[in-house]
Amino acid sequence: MSTDADNSALVRVENLHKRYGQVEALRGITFDIGKGEVFGLLGPNGAGKTTTIEILEGLRQPDEGQVTVCGLDPNREQAALKQRIGAQLQATVLPDKIRVEEALGLFASFYERTASIEMLLDRFGLAEKRRALYEHLSGGQKQRLALALALVNDPELVLLDEPTVGLDAMLRRDIYALIEQFRSDGRTVLLTTHYIEEAERLCDRVAIIDRGRLIALGTPRELIERSGKGTRLEVRVSKPVPIEHLSKLEAVLDCHEADGTYFLHAQPPARAIAALVHLLEAEGSALLDLHIAQPSLEDVFVEVTGRRLEE
Amino acid sequence: MRHALRIALMTIRLVMRTRIALFFTFLFPVIFLFVYAGLFAHGNPEAVVYMFGPVVTLNIMGSGFWGLGMQSVMQRERGSLRRYRLAPLGPGTMVLSNLLANYLLGLPTIALLVFCAMVFFHMPLKIGLVTLLILVTVGTFGFAGFGLTIASVANTMQEAQIYNNVVWLTLLFLSGVTVPLPLLPHWVQRLAAFLPATYLVSTFQAIMVQGQPLIDHWAEMMVLVVSGIFGLLFAWKLFRWEKEEKISARAKWLSLTFIIPFLITGTWMNARGNLTSSWATSYSLMGRGNSEGAEAADANLIENFQSPGAAEDSLKRWQVSTDAESGGHSMAEISLLPPGGTGTRQALRFKGHLTPAAGTGEGFALARLEVKVPTQSKDLHGIELNLRGDGRAYQVKFHPAGPAGSFQPAASFVPLSDWQSVRLLVGWLANPPAGASASDPWVLEIGALGPPGDFQLDIDGIKFY
Repeated sequence: MSTDADNSALVRVENLHKRYGQVEALRGITFDIGKGEVFGLLGPNGAGKTTTIEILEGLRQPDEGQVTVCGLDPNREQAALKQRIGAQLQATVLPDKIRVEEALGLFASFYERTASIEMLLDRFGLAEKRRALYEHLSGGQKQRLALALALVNDPELVLLDEPTVGLDAMLRRDIYALIEQFRSDGRTVLLTTHYIEEAERLCDRVAIIDRGRLIALGTPRELIERSGKGTRLEVRVSKPVPIEHLSKLEAVLDCHEADGTYFLHAQPPARAIAALVHLLEAEGSALLDLHIAQPSLEDVFVEVTGRRLEE
Repeated sequence: MRHALRIALMTIRLVMRTRIALFFTFLFPVIFLFVYAGLFAHGNPEAVVYMFGPVVTLNIMGSGFWGLGMQSVMQRERGSLRRYRLAPLGPGTMVLSNLLANYLLGLPTIALLVFCAMVFFHMPLKIGLVTLLILVTVGTFGFAGFGLTIASVANTMQEAQIYNNVVWLTLLFLSGVTVPLPLLPHWVQRLAAFLPATYLVSTFQAIMVQGQPLIDHWAEMMVLVVSGIFGLLFAWKLFRWEKEEKISARAKWLSLTFIIPFLITGTWMNARGNLTSSWATSYSLMGRGNSEGAEAADANLIENFQSPGAAEDSLKRWQVSTDAESGGHSMAEISLLPPGGTGTRQALRFKGHLTPAAGTGEGFALARLEVKVPTQSKDLHGIELNLRGDGRAYQVKFHPAGPAGSFQPAASFVPLSDWQSVRLLVGWLANPPAGASASDPWVLEIGALGPPGDFQLDIDGIKFY
């Protein structure tokens, strides 16, 4: 798959295959990531995101396919590659009794080029916790430390595997702000996620993977526009209306119902709303609640897989 | 190496912050010292010298198996190796860092053991500090090999614990760490020659109790070094960063090659044949003070029945005869009796039944032992026997083995049930009777005399004085 980032691609992945016993985790994934780009791998659990990122980190060997990271082969030139990349694992575990500044100092000592520990402590909001033991950190602080560790070698490429998984919405926004700083630093970032909001907000380009296959690739806007799903309307009414009547409304592209709420995709939405109001009057029902949302990557995912991301 | 050292120093720092780790690293070995020195050695400083080797070995083994080995598996199970894996570090660095941390943590523990043994039990430090350091270093390396190999082949903590227990308990009870080897059956002593812990214990004891130089034990040290090298190779080649990575059954079988050096060296050590006697010597000298004095005392020793090997030999050397040769029906036998007199392990029991021939009134039973007179016979005063009996009269004689046997100085005695000393003067050995020479074989003869009935005499030790 060719992109406009080809000329300055920092990561190249071509026809990547990986199998664990009978399970085919990756079935021919191809993409590349340009310098300074924030690239997202979006997909449900088990889609193959972590396998992909671990192959790029040199932690796993692909069964088939070509991978180049920073111009290096992750398998044959691991030592050189690790000097140039920073990575954060889905679950980082450090010894309970290690202090924050000790962890940063220790891991920084393994690299030829290092970032300032003081800068990292300040930037990741850990300055006050510098003497705290790892076991005494909150979930958010542990995650910030994991991100800080990914930057101890001042890397060109940062690989983040589900950086906000398990965090509440507020902590997640904290982490988003930090990742946005990576972008403003000019670093290249590859992140995996199954949060739509994360991919839409942070990523310049997104690759949607499902069951080991890359099913869509582009900027979030491109993907949404390409889906042709239209605006999403979430409607609650006082008296149930036959779903086939809703489906036949003007400008409505599709419709389904879940837990008493009707979900309609419409283009243009204004005409669909007007038609809806008329229908409800005719059916003796009334509009209780109406939410209008722009289509999201979730819609794109549903369109191409027929399933929701959480399923 | 630089990275390994940094990780090792960090590990040590983390241990210092963990109470349970501090307990098992420093306090636990000291508790063992107090148990060994207090209960087994009864606080006798010279006996503590004998016990010091087993205590140090126990500590080194413990840190190899339960510290280093289990720590490696735990790191993998917990997932803390994954973060290191992202850094430019290889398996070799991780293995080396664990090895270094284990060694550097072990040194202060040994220093603490030395300190406590010297201060609380007044143990004379009969080993040079450099020799001690070499022994501890080689021992730590050797047992690190075990811990690392087990950590390499075990897929889970539970599996590692099973392997550890099997090997640990074998070494614990069959290599002199808990039970002195001379107290174990001869076949177990043969088996012990295949166990590396035996080498560390026996080398400590040979150096500290017998005053032997370390160089005399180069073979034992080599076994431990080879164990360490094999362990490192396995740990390096089979290193796994992730708990999900399982070792194949083939690799597990391959890891059994770890025991090959022990099979070779055990066979060789058994063939050399002087191992068990060295263990027995260390044991028999336990608590006797410095080795020079002990050697001098040993030269005058005729029998002490202390080592199983020596005791079996002495049973072969003793000859029993009765009046059956002259028409009587008396019976007699000798056997080993555990325990012996105060502080000794076993004694010789000479027992039987006197049934004289009709009309003779008295029967007899004799136990004879051929004795070599020490070279400094001019300085000898007599023969001292430590024994106990049954109130019956006995007689001890000492005479040349050859035809000049007509010269037979004797002493009669009636030993009671408490252990006691009986002396037979042999000062005349300085000027032996005509036809006899101190350098010829002599015979010590102990006879049960008197009316018909049972007799029983226990002899704990016989020596010139």
